[in-house]
Amino acid sequence: MANEIFMPKLSSTMEEGVILDWFKEEGDEIETGEPIFEIMTDKINIEVESYHDGILLKKYFHKDDTVPVNHVIGFIGEQGEEVPDTPPASDEESSADESSSPEQETAAPAQEPETEVSTEKVRATPAARAAAREKNVSLHNVSGSGPKGRIHKADVLSSGSQGKSTPLAEKMASHHGIDTKNVEGTGAGGKVMKNDINALLAESSENRPENVTESLRGVRKVTAERMADSSSTIPHVTMDFEVDMEQVIRLREALKSSVEKATGQKLSYNEIFVLAVSKALQRHPDINITYDKETITYHNEVNVGVAVAVEENLYVPVLKNTERKSLSMLADELKPLIFNTREGRIDSASMQGGTFTISNLGMFAIDSFTPIINKPQGAILGISRMKEVPVVKEGEVKVSSVTTFSLSFDHRVINGAPAAAFCTTLKNLLEEPYELLV
Amino acid sequence: MREITYLEAVREALSQEMRENEDVFMLGEDIGVYGGAFGVSRGMLEEFGSERIRNTPISEAAISGTAVGAALTGMRPVLELQFSDFITIAMDNLVNQAAKIRYMYGGKGSVPMVLRTPSGSGTGAAAQHSQSLEAWVAHVPGLKVVQPSCGSDAKGLLKAAIDDNNPVVFYEHKTLYKTSDHVPEEAYSIPLGKADIKREGTDATIVATAAMVPKALEAASKLAEEGIETEVVDPRTLVPLDKETIVESVKKTGRLLVAHEAVKRGGFGGEIASTIAESEAFDFLDAPIMRLGGAEVPIPYNPNLEKATVPSVEDMIDSVKQMVHYDTWRENHG
Repeated sequence: MANEIFMPKLSSTMEEGVILDWFKEEGDEIETGEPIFEIMTDKINIEVESYHDGILLKKYFHKDDTVPVNHVIGFIGEQGEEVPDTPPASDEESSADESSSPEQETAAPAQEPETEVSTEKVRATPAARAAAREKNVSLHNVSGSGPKGRIHKADVLSSGSQGKSTPLAEKMASHHGIDTKNVEGTGAGGKVMKNDINALLAESSENRPENVTESLRGVRKVTAERMADSSSTIPHVTMDFEVDMEQVIRLREALKSSVEKATGQKLSYNEIFVLAVSKALQRHPDINITYDKETITYHNEVNVGVAVAVEENLYVPVLKNTERKSLSMLADELKPLIFNTREGRIDSASMQGGTFTISNLGMFAIDSFTPIINKPQGAILGISRMKEVPVVKEGEVKVSSVTTFSLSFDHRVINGAPAAAFCTTLKNLLEEPYELLV
Repeated sequence: MREITYLEAVREALSQEMRENEDVFMLGEDIGVYGGAFGVSRGMLEEFGSERIRNTPISEAAISGTAVGAALTGMRPVLELQFSDFITIAMDNLVNQAAKIRYMYGGKGSVPMVLRTPSGSGTGAAAQHSQSLEAWVAHVPGLKVVQPSCGSDAKGLLKAAIDDNNPVVFYEHKTLYKTSDHVPEEAYSIPLGKADIKREGTDATIVATAAMVPKALEAASKLAEEGIETEVVDPRTLVPLDKETIVESVKKTGRLLVAHEAVKRGGFGGEIASTIAESEAFDFLDAPIMRLGGAEVPIPYNPNLEKATVPSVEDMIDSVKQMVHYDTWRENHG
């Protein structure tokens, strides 16, 4: 009996995954533990390994297909074993009450495997049929833009050269009367990408590059949904406070070499911020909370998430139990965590369990901002750039390095006074960092 | 450049031809002193005399029979029917005599006559004086059918019609008589069977006849404001029909709208649409062929209703937008 390969459910919120790449072809031998394909979830990219030894008998989905979790993607078994031509419904799907599963139906794969030839007649114009003949494209694989799904010539042209150019590039090319056959592609295997068309258009000054549209997927889609959810359901209050950074700068200079000696990592302000925030949260347990389904949870441990931008995506890897960690331990952990996040090598477990989040934009020319709370956490700290400003100390004007910190908190569960008290504690810890030793 | 009206262009073509060729003469009701129902022959009696500008009794059968006989004896008669609706009365002479004789006598006799007649609606002349019956005569082998849409075409086509050795039915649209365009003074001939591309375009073709041509041009310029480039083809002669120009146009644009004032049912638009469906242009069609024609009612006397029975500029714009699948088209063309 052949074994099914499922779309794994990698987190409690994952509903579907996108197949990024296949590493095996039908007929290939696979050993247990070998990666079969790579998927992208709403949080991460991950290689899916085989649980069985055998031959890859069937691939029901292709690269870039979106597949619901627990849906059968393929089969591994012995040479010659019979497997169904279409993916069997997953247990969840087949047992689900029909009336309650419209979402799953729409989530099911829209694209039939290419090998299946439909005998249904296709509604297409003569020009579309002629174009399909010429380009050797099956009209069954083309979606029509006309009334009742009628396929027009443009539909064939934009779908015809799949594989050699992206649909977006094809669409742009056809608008500008460019034949993608004549465009040198920079994508994988010479695939023509939108940038290739833009580059071509930029050469002639009359044409400006096309506006790019794309549908949100994966991490960006989840980020968009969560931002909107948080922003619209949580009454945010943001408090700004300025911190004189002179002592923090001195602290970092003093400890840099010893941290580097101990860990091989350079001490950065981030570790000092995480440490100070962790100490402050320990003193203010009413800030180190999560609020979910009408329940407030006061966390004994402090798990600090650090927002990391990777190209267009936003990730928040989490440092666990920071209240128990030293600066060198933090540096030892945070540096690789951020590096792995940027490399796209982070697993979803590393992004869960946060009780508080820090978003540091100090490398940009930002003086203050209002961060959006990372639900279900109660608060988030935004950190802006450090800059030299005149400050009055003991009746004298001095130049000092100052950074604005911005705490956004959920006013349903955190009141202004405790939030302000937390901010004050944090400010004091940073301005008198010896306090961190206490 | 000199601009004269359609009506003056027709008169100029007739006069120039009569000065050149002694065999050419005119006959019709009240074409003498009165100058014809629409004034086309006004002043011609004075120049050419009553031998060559002949008033006739009120009998389209007699006028057409006389013309066929005169043509058989070597004259080149140009007969005028006051309204093209009355062609029904001349039909036996036209269909059973004029159209057949050259064939039936193996080319030993021919009927070089031109039947000029004002057609179409738009003047409040009601049901019996407003029809467009060109499809009837276009159906009969042996008759040539001309429908000029402007004065310069009318002048050149009328000379070609008079020079032709076969019977030609020459339709002059009533509402076009007062339109003006540049018409060269010297005599010239436009070959029968040569369509004219009145406006070039890439997105859709409108094949329009007679008074529909200026409407199609207006529609095309309004469509161009929205970025849709419409080609307007005027066949000018239904028989012989310049299929090649129409086919090439549709091959270029992939979309065809046929517009004529004649009732859509059984109208010549069906012939043009079929020609495309049978032709090489079929493989280039990217939308169903559309036709605009007159409503299937007798032309009403009420001016508003009269207007509503024939295709309008807006109808043409709507049809073209439908063909280019405008909503999607607009998205793609921003």
